[in-house]
Amino acid sequence: MRLFASRLPLTGRVAAGVVLLLWLVAACSPLFAERARTIRLEERLQAPSATHPFGTDDLGRDLLARVVTATPISLAIGLVAAGVSLGIGFTVGATAGYFGGAVDLVLSRLVEVMLCFPVLFLLLALAAVLPPSPATVIAAIGLTTWAGDARYARSEILRIRELDYARAARAMGASTPRILARHLLPNALPPLIVSAAFGVGWAILAEAALSFLGVGLPAPAVSWGGILSTAPNWIEEAWWIALFPGLALFLTVAAYNLLAEGLRAISTEAGRGV
Amino acid sequence: MKRALAAALHGILVLVLASACRERPGAAAAAVPTAAPTSATPTPETPRLGFLDESHEGNPVDGGTLRRRLTGEPTTLNAVLQSSGPEAQVLQYVQRNLFDYDASLQLVPGLAEGMEASKDGLEYTIALRPDAVWEDGRPVTAKDAVFTIRKIADPKVPAPVFKPLFEEMTAIEALDAHRFRVRFSRPYAFRPMCFVLPILPAHRFEGQSFLKSKENRAPLSDGPYRVVSWKTQESVALERNPRYAGPRGHFDRIEFRIVPDNTTAYRMLLDGSLDEDVVDSGIKRRAASDPDFAACCRLVEFYNLDYNYIALNERSPFFSDARVRRAMTMMLDRASIVRGLYRGSARIISGPWAPDSPAYDADVAPLPFDPGMAGRLLDEAGWVRPPGGGPREKDGRRFEFDLLVSAGSEVGRQIDEMLASELAKAGVTARVRAMEWAAFVEKVDSGAFEAASLAWSAVDPNPDPYFYWHSSQCAPAGINDGCYSNPAADALMVQAREELDAGRRLEILHRLHRLLRDEAPAIFVVNASQKYAFRKRVRGLTTSPLGLYGIWPGPLAWWGAPEPAGQP
Amino acid sequence: MIRYVGRRLLLAVPTLFGISVIVFVLLHLAPGTPGAGGAESLRRVSGKAAEEMRRLYGLDRPLPEQFARWLGRVVRLDLGESFVDHRPVGERIREALPNTIVLNGLALVLAIGLAIPLGVAAGSRPESTFDRTSGAVLFALYSLPTFWGALLLQTLFSAQLKWFPLFGVASDAAPGGFAGFADRLAHLALPVTCLTYGTLAFVARLVRSGIVEARASDYVLASRARGASRRRAIWRHAFPNALLPVITLAGLLVPAVLSGSVVVEKIFAWPGLGRLYLDSILARDYPVILALSLLSAAVTLIATLAADIALAAADPRVRDGSGV
Repeated sequence: MRLFASRLPLTGRVAAGVVLLLWLVAACSPLFAERARTIRLEERLQAPSATHPFGTDDLGRDLLARVVTATPISLAIGLVAAGVSLGIGFTVGATAGYFGGAVDLVLSRLVEVMLCFPVLFLLLALAAVLPPSPATVIAAIGLTTWAGDARYARSEILRIRELDYARAARAMGASTPRILARHLLPNALPPLIVSAAFGVGWAILAEAALSFLGVGLPAPAVSWGGILSTAPNWIEEAWWIALFPGLALFLTVAAYNLLAEGLRAISTEAGRGV
Repeated sequence: MKRALAAALHGILVLVLASACRERPGAAAAAVPTAAPTSATPTPETPRLGFLDESHEGNPVDGGTLRRRLTGEPTTLNAVLQSSGPEAQVLQYVQRNLFDYDASLQLVPGLAEGMEASKDGLEYTIALRPDAVWEDGRPVTAKDAVFTIRKIADPKVPAPVFKPLFEEMTAIEALDAHRFRVRFSRPYAFRPMCFVLPILPAHRFEGQSFLKSKENRAPLSDGPYRVVSWKTQESVALERNPRYAGPRGHFDRIEFRIVPDNTTAYRMLLDGSLDEDVVDSGIKRRAASDPDFAACCRLVEFYNLDYNYIALNERSPFFSDARVRRAMTMMLDRASIVRGLYRGSARIISGPWAPDSPAYDADVAPLPFDPGMAGRLLDEAGWVRPPGGGPREKDGRRFEFDLLVSAGSEVGRQIDEMLASELAKAGVTARVRAMEWAAFVEKVDSGAFEAASLAWSAVDPNPDPYFYWHSSQCAPAGINDGCYSNPAADALMVQAREELDAGRRLEILHRLHRLLRDEAPAIFVVNASQKYAFRKRVRGLTTSPLGLYGIWPGPLAWWGAPEPAGQP
Repeated sequence: MIRYVGRRLLLAVPTLFGISVIVFVLLHLAPGTPGAGGAESLRRVSGKAAEEMRRLYGLDRPLPEQFARWLGRVVRLDLGESFVDHRPVGERIREALPNTIVLNGLALVLAIGLAIPLGVAAGSRPESTFDRTSGAVLFALYSLPTFWGALLLQTLFSAQLKWFPLFGVASDAAPGGFAGFADRLAHLALPVTCLTYGTLAFVARLVRSGIVEARASDYVLASRARGASRRRAIWRHAFPNALLPVITLAGLLVPAVLSGSVVVEKIFAWPGLGRLYLDSILARDYPVILALSLLSAAVTLIATLAADIALAAADPRVRDGSGV
């Protein structure tokens, strides 16, 4: 692990640090739950101050507390949704890439359908059809993004399949499962991890967009996107409602993207070395 | 959110049998300030919260253009198919109603000159003015009226505003060129109110699909103005109708600008692109401390008949007990909402009417904000906290429910969150669920909800509660969304609709009000004020509990003083 | 080559069909009365009246029958009438189309037009100050959520500084001629910026990494050895190869921009197809939703096809078989 970490470029290490910090904040969020819930109408829409470092929202709730309590929700949904997307995507893409032929034809059509599918519509329709819950949001995001992962997985598998050692193994008559397990999968792992890291950033953004449009998580579980969804109403009077949750969002996504890039840098090195 | 005229038939104010009895004490003219102005900095024209009647002030000047705001795009300009506020606002200038409400909510003749009811109250004969004429020169005839009403009743035509009014119609026929008769299956005290509706020109729809006709985009006028242009998403422009024989409007041209966003509209008001704007409390607050606003414009504020409420579904195991519903009401700090969210421009209500409605009995005080008492009521009703703490339970079921609100309703959401917060302290979990409009409406209409935040929007002064609270009108067949059913209340409602004497009817409704306060079929929240901002040059305004428009003459009496030099 | 194109076009048909089926099924599963209208609507109708409306629109028929009827009309290029205002769907789309094309077209052109020189400049001098700073800025832009960026831009440039208007295509009192044009530009400024920066960052970084890789390759070194100037070596040799991944991904840029456009159009009240789509979904305007879904899918397919064709023309390996 340490070897791994030490090969990460500086930016990657900083990003990993930020991600860890975010998880720490998420873990501490129950401490802020009370403050986040307290409604005090006399303190509505107050600018950032000593008592309220991020200001207050339209019901007088402390914005800092709200942003902190939203952290675990945004992070968790992002992670799980990315996992779902990757799970489905990689399975489909790898199968298509490995077996080729008719299997590839059919699966690629499926991937193409999903890629061309109007994302927003699927999200809204799913959010409308299924009862509002974290599971619905995760399903909606996962189902709309797996196609990108599938496409990537397919091209990676195609590339790996043609590498010398894999062809050699086939030439020597090794069985399919053996090839998969011993050669393809270990080599597919680095790109998979990179995909995962990028996927988390994207999933967090997608969940925020859904909540912003009003079809995300139901209250009381509120994510950064949910807090942002009320911001347009107060754009002239309370700019802090737009600034701080968005900043948290931006930092998180940037950190995950940076981490992913660092991982990609390592994995291409490793790939080249094989 | 608006509730459709689905209730229909209202009409204490039968025109011909016009009783001199004023339904609303102190209704008509002078402004009655009912709350102190809330602006911090003194402004030349301090906004007053009360009714305005400038119809007799000043010397009206003819000419100029009036720029009004529409908050959304009209989807059609066919009066029968209309379904939203923007459509009504435009159509009011273009097509006259048979009868209108004046500022004191009395029925006055419009396109029709008179109405006669038969002795048994089943037949109504309406006479049109002989000089009523369409823009293309043809006269407005009884044939047009019959055509219109037949279309309204046609099951293939979606006519959300007027259809319920004619559900009990059994026959309609034209007696001659100017008179027609309508027959209903039963008498109804408020029946004359259902003739406040405009007429369509039958000859323009000949041989065409009613729904798809081009007429719906460019309606023929029989009123003081005609439509000259409609640029989708931008504006609708009207000019004088030279053929109109009745009282003219003062402006030469009316331009409706479609501006959905409040902030943009406010800016447009300040720079003169709009003369009129409907504002919310946020903008009102900004305007109060904005010197540009003080220089150019004034705020007009009054109470209308709209109110907010939270419907409780009596079919749900939580809300079948009146004690629980009373407890819910006592957990909502309405005084704090009035102070904090509305800054004083709202009134707490204790029943399903606004305080200016005739049915409202001012002596029926609202239930107090008393979480202690509410907790005891819940205990009594069997919802108790388990020994180890935690949410209240009864028969093994926890007190947790979904509180639905439409995603677009900011105020609804805020009120719901306040309620949820207080309920949480008392061991009840309310999950505030913002849903998008179509899904929300479907859940409410089909009765598939536990609690939902709604707003009642009055399009006429009918106080008849029958369609909304009578047990026979349960959703999805009717619009008693929460399926409230109480035999005593039912009896009072039926009595009221059949009582022809206005005074006795009022007594019955007041008794019903007291009963509903105690029964709490819903949490009645507040009656909030309507706020409009006008450029100072616009004069001749009259406000009423029905609003600024939708009354006669209403906006037609507005006129524009020439803007003094140096105005921003 | 022709065979490749032909095969791709043929394969596009089942894709479009698949999309239609899924959209159709989802529409009918989603709750909400069709043509319910927006939140302004007074359309509170009893369950009985709602039933009437369903019958009116033919929605009580079995799903396969409804789908077959719709398909029959679409093949004849008849998209039906909107449930909301009963006007032909084609008319509503035609009204919104120019606004979307202007917005998205401008954004794409600006993004790619700025990204290429930026990427080349950064790639030619890797690890330089310019490269590092631009890299950081581009990365930041790339991670910025569109809707947050929009809110920030609105807050800063419109609410606080009052340089640009908040919403809409043009001020209503807009005069014609040059002043009118300037007014429209002012209204375009913020929405286009929102749509551009994400794509710009993405493409620029792609070009940069492409240039960096290509720089080290043999043919570039060879051309330098032959005495070609640095600039010539970069632009004539490195650049075309760096462009390859951009082209592959260009096809995917179009749907990405289109969906970003929905959020931007909503925030800036831009009356384009994105907003029409969102409003139609909220109002359950089935014919418009179906037509727009099909339209956006078709556009995406065309874009991906164009990108793949360009790639096939450049890289023979692709068209010979392993790519489908």
